[in-house]
Formats: sequence, structure tokens, C-alpha cells
Amino acid sequence: MTPMPHFAVYLIHTLFPPDVRRPTEIGADVMMGVVAIWIFVHMTRHHRWGWLWHEWFTTVDHKKIGVMYLVAALIMLFRGGIDALMMRTNLALPLHPVISAEEYNEVFTTHGVIMIFFMAMPFIFALFNAVIPLMIGARDVAFPRLNAVSFWLFAFGAALFNVAFVVGGSPNAGWTAYPPLTELAYNPGPGLNYYLMALIISGIGTTITGLNFLVTVLRLRAPGMTLMRMPMFVWSALNTSALILFAFPPLTVALLMTLLDRTAGTHFFTMGGGGMPMMYVNLFWLFGHPEVYIVVLPAFGVFSEVFATFSRKRLFGYDSMVLSMTAIMVLAYGTWVHHFFTMGAGPAVNAFFGVSTMLIAIPTGVKIFNWIFTMWGGRVRFTVAMLYAMAFIPTFILGGATGILLATVPADYQLHNSYFLVAHFHTMLIGGTVFGLLAGMYYWWPKMFGYSLRESQGKLAFWLFASGFWVTFGPQYLLGFSGMTRRMDTYPLGLGWHSLNVVSTVGAFIMGAAFLILVYNVLWSMRHGVRDQTGDPWNGRTLEWSLPSPVPEYNFACLPTVGERDAWWGVKEAFRRETGADEDAAPTPQVRAEDIRGLHLPRNTAYPFFLGASFFVFGFGVVFTWWIIAAIGFAGIACTLVYAWFDHDEHLPMPADEVRHHEATLGRLLA
Amino acid sequence: MATVVEQQQEAVTAGRGPTAGSALGAERALLRFLEPHFAGEGFPWTQLWGYVGSLVLTFAAFGLVIHHLLTPTALLGLVLVLAAGQASLQLGVFMHLRESRGPAWQVLPLGLSFAIGVGMIVASLWIMAFKWGVS
Repeated sequence: MTPMPHFAVYLIHTLFPPDVRRPTEIGADVMMGVVAIWIFVHMTRHHRWGWLWHEWFTTVDHKKIGVMYLVAALIMLFRGGIDALMMRTNLALPLHPVISAEEYNEVFTTHGVIMIFFMAMPFIFALFNAVIPLMIGARDVAFPRLNAVSFWLFAFGAALFNVAFVVGGSPNAGWTAYPPLTELAYNPGPGLNYYLMALIISGIGTTITGLNFLVTVLRLRAPGMTLMRMPMFVWSALNTSALILFAFPPLTVALLMTLLDRTAGTHFFTMGGGGMPMMYVNLFWLFGHPEVYIVVLPAFGVFSEVFATFSRKRLFGYDSMVLSMTAIMVLAYGTWVHHFFTMGAGPAVNAFFGVSTMLIAIPTGVKIFNWIFTMWGGRVRFTVAMLYAMAFIPTFILGGATGILLATVPADYQLHNSYFLVAHFHTMLIGGTVFGLLAGMYYWWPKMFGYSLRESQGKLAFWLFASGFWVTFGPQYLLGFSGMTRRMDTYPLGLGWHSLNVVSTVGAFIMGAAFLILVYNVLWSMRHGVRDQTGDPWNGRTLEWSLPSPVPEYNFACLPTVGERDAWWGVKEAFRRETGADEDAAPTPQVRAEDIRGLHLPRNTAYPFFLGASFFVFGFGVVFTWWIIAAIGFAGIACTLVYAWFDHDEHLPMPADEVRHHEATLGRLLA
Repeated sequence: MATVVEQQQEAVTAGRGPTAGSALGAERALLRFLEPHFAGEGFPWTQLWGYVGSLVLTFAAFGLVIHHLLTPTALLGLVLVLAAGQASLQLGVFMHLRESRGPAWQVLPLGLSFAIGVGMIVASLWIMAFKWGVS
């Protein structure tokens, strides 16, 4: 720490250096201030602070944690989208750039980090939390309090990352943050420390979530639900969790070593100090490639549910689906070097990883065919979720084909870090992950909130989003072929790039409009959306649709017994056979009063919130290397953990009569 | 934290549920395989010594690297031996490896972990050896 000339002056110069005083930053500050004041006034006037604290901030209920993840993911999608529009605007106006080269570096860095770590990941966990326990017939996840810890570590990690552009300055070394760009000598200031600390903190939360869902799926399935009777979305959660468990430690280690290089004077990755920068790249992609599958496998799971439900058929080739998904999980660990073929590791290494990359196309191709055959001969309903699923297939095939091109080592030497690559991974991440997550959101929204999102508005948003996507990224493949490289803030005219860039920018704004309509769709449906009276609005197949919407706190009054795959569909088919009812009729599941027993719910607790807050203080101290603040945060972490250690009051008993009463009000109690 | 697990287990062993069927016996036998049996609860001396041991192993490796006491090959070998010791210590003391009833269930994930771990370490060494191949 430098000696302080004058405390206040030092503080202002450190916290508010010139690069957080640009017009865009000040504009964002004002907007955030207005929103914060509005929220404060609104909450205070309606006396909602207690409600927020008792119902949400201290909850350990997986369904509520899922909702909080979803809200966070949508807010982060907004911020990442604004970053994208800033970049696209700059590239459409090469003669009159609206943001400087320095700011452009920061914007593409935060865009990447936010979209991957703070949009895609929480969105996935939102869906996991919302439905996985319901799908396997469980009352909660295996470790409900750890689940809350995961959420708050993610939330405060995300908060720390988003504080950067207001206080201290944003990171600017790309979402991959390669050395030597991250060395203190070349990148002073707190920006990169924000990146490192935010990802370390939220990464701990992510690892814990992976562990939690792994145990949940393996241990908490309802009687009779064998592994091969699990819905595909549960399989995707299992495989994703296994990927997380192995993929996140290398990232945490790589980030921690970079942090030590920057704050403690070590030389793991420094150029001049005998470090090995390429080892960082190696460690990063040891995480980074499995991460690609971490974000896409859940989307595969969603599509499997959506295709089966809206084709009114069971999933085609379930066994091969399970096999191919597991194969992808294993193969995902064997391809990471294709991200740095151009390092020049020699023909043996590059050929090995080129072939291993191409191998992944085989199980993925199997899945694509299975989805198409699921629709084949089915009675297809074109709901919003189904539209996203159907749009995914051609998009993903194109993205996969361009991926094979990139896996061809000689071609990669040409295409590496060009706009071809940018277009490829956006095709996969938007056409695969985002389409999947939005499909899941529309599909499970009635289960999460008790009302449906209006289909007509959703379809408008879908058509704008999907067509805007092609308008944005189609031209970027061509730009890559004509030599435009990634992360350029501007370019000279006369290279033939301008018109394609303008088209791409128009597409980006169409996608932005689609997002606004999606938000309007949500807000409109909150007031006027159709109530889900039956709990089964889509004529679904899996257990979550046998429950009322929204689901009671205890999920299942009696744990179900599963006799077949698509358990709820089996119950409905039996009902239809017995009663000769209409082929879309569904029974309201009834439970006998004597079958209901008292149960224990996990008790709410505030320690996950305080643990997250302590990590935030600790992280903030490390970012500015203010060790006193870091020590305060660390003490907070220690105290919270010791408190949690001795807090054995974890269970909230719920007497059988209370459950019976609740089931009776839902009309589900047999007298 | 085990409350949900317990409830589930109870439901399995009691055969509760709206349509407890005949297939349940087989299911119960299958799931009993997953039931853990925990070591007796006294003061966690094993864990305490395991923690101290893991710290000692870590600092031993760190000290060896910092003080350049050995030739690079011997150093690499010794550090790998220490790493193997560390891994077995973690698995034995903290990962409940000794507490399960049947070994079969653990073979698959352990094998996968081992394959991934070795893949990461050996392949990284192989990839990073490119310096010698190039120069």
C-alpha cells in the first residue's frame, strides 16, 4: 500500500479513478441510483422488508432459491446484453466510435464473464432448483442449507463483480484473463482483482451446488425411481454436477495463483520471473472446456422434456440419450487443448486433441436424431418452449459443423480468434444454452409461479430473438473469413467489413428488442397470466406435473412410488384406461389422510446470507489490498462458520394435521 | 442436514406412498446398498490428525520446491509421491471411503475420478513439455 498523502484524496483517487468517471459509467450510476431509490421507497411504503428477509433472504426452500437464481440471471442477462449492444454500436460506426478502446476492452470482458458465470450458470441452477427435487420425488435437495450458501456466494460474487465499474474500475483482460495481460506490471489497479475474487467466491458456490445436486440425484430419488427411470433433465443435472465437481477446482486454482502473482509477489505465470503463462491457459481450459458442456447439457435436458411433452410421445431412444450424454460428460475432459492449438505444442498433441474434439460430434449427433425422431409421428404443439426447442436443432447443427471446422488443426491456425470463432461459440451458447434456458423458463414457469406466461407475447419475443440471432451472427462467420479478429474496437474502412458489421449490429438490436418484449411478457403475465388450476397445464409426463402449482412447501404430502419412466404419464394413462375418459383428461392426485405423516422441513437460517456478505467484505479488501478490511471479512467468515457449526436447530417439524389441512384446501385429500 | 435423506430412507424402508406396490421389495434391496453406516461418534481425532497431516504434506512439498534441495527429477518424483499420499489421506479420512458397505458402488466414480485426475496431470505435463520439442 502506498503511503497516504491525504486520506480522503487517496480514497477518492483509489475508489473513483478517471476510468469510472466516463459518461457511460455516470449514466449507469444515475440509473442504478434511481432504481435503488425506487426499490427502497416501494419496499418501505408497503412494509415489505420483513417479508423480503423472512420469506426470501433466509429461505432454504429449493423452490424459492430457484426463483432468486432466476431473477438474478435475468438481471445479469440485461447487463450482459447492454454490454453487447455497446460493442455492436461501436463496430457499426468505425469512423465515430462511441466508446474508447480502453472502455471497449472492459466491456467485452464484462460481457463474457457476466454471460457465462452470472447469467448462464444461475439460470441453470434456477431450473435445477425449481424442478429437480420435484422430478425425482424428493422433499428438498440433500443439503438445503448448503444450497442457500451456494446461492449467497454466487449472489455476492456477482455483486462484487458488478461493483467494479462503479468503484475502482472494470477488469479488461477478456473473460479468459490470460497472462501476461494480467500481470501487475502491465495491468495495475483493482480491475483484475475484482475478476479474480468474484470468480473465486462464486466458484466456491458453484462447486457446492454441483456436489449438492450430485448427492440429491443419487440419494433422494423416490422409491422405484431407478437411474434408468429418471427423466432426462435429471440425467443432465447428474452429468452437469459431475462436470462441475471436476472442472471448477482447476479454475479456482488458476485464479488463486494469478491472485498470488498480483498480490503476494509469486511468479507462477509471470514472463520475466520464470513463470509459465501457458500453464495458466492450460489450467483455464481444463475448466473452460468442461464448462461449455456444463452450460449446454442442462439445455439438452430441457429439450428432451420439451420435445417429449409437446410431441405427446415418450422420448425416442432414451437409453442412447443417457449413454450419449454420459459419453459427452467423459469426453468433455479430453478436448481442452483445442482452445490453444496455436500455442504450437507439436503435431502429436494437436492431432490427439483435434480427433478427441471431433469425437464429441458423435454422441451429440445421436441426440439430435433422437429429438427429431421424438417429434416424428407425434402430435406436435407449437408452444413457445417447443419453438425454442425446434429453433435449437438447425442452429446447433450449424454451430456443431463450424466447431468441427475449428477442430481441424490447420484450419484452426487460420480461424483462431477470428470472428468465425466468435460466431461459432455464440451459435452454441445462444442457440444451445440460451434457447434451452428460455424454453425451460417458459415450460416450468407455471410450476414455479402458478400462472402461465402469455403465449402470443412469448412467440413474438421468440421470433424476434431467433431471427435477430441469425442476423447478428450469420454475418460474423463471413467477417471471420475476411480476416476480422476478435476483440477489435474499431477498424479502417475499405476492408469490406463495414456493411456486414452494420447488419450484425441491426441483428443485435433486434435481439435487444426481443428481450424487452420478454420482460413485458413476464410483467404482463404477473398481472393477467392464466392461473394454473390443475398443476398440469402442458399435459406433462414427469412427476413435477402431478403436484399443484405453485408447489406446497413440503412438495409431496406422501412420497410417490415410481413404477415406470414418465411416471406421471403412466398414472394418467391408467386413469384414462380405467375411466374411459377423454385422452387428454388427467386425474387430480388424491392422498389418503392416514398415509400422511408428520414431516420435518429444513428451518430457515440467516447464516448463508451473512457468510456471503462476509465473503463480499473479504473480497473487497483483497481487491484493493486493504488487508484490514480483508481481515474483518475473514473474521466474519470464520464467525459465521463456527456459528453454523454449533447451530443444530435445523429442523422445523410440520405436524401431519397441518399437511392434511393444506392438502384439503388444495382439494387433494381423500376423506 | 440429513433430515431429508432420513425421511426418504424412512419412506423407502417403510414402503410408504400412495401406491406402494410389489416391486418395492426389489427396490428396497437395491437402495439398502446405498445406506451408509457411519463410524461411531466420538471426538473427531482422526479428522484432526488428518487435517494436520494434510497441512504437513502440503508444506513439505512447498518447502522442497522453494529451497531447491533436490535435482528436478528427484523433486518431481518426491512431490508426486507426496501428492499420492495427500490424495489417499483425503479419501480415507474425509471422503468416507471406509464407511460404505459395498465397494462396488464406489469403483465407478473413483475410477472416473482417477482417470480424469491422471489425464489432467499427465496430459498437462505432456503438453507443457512442448518447450523442449520446439527449441
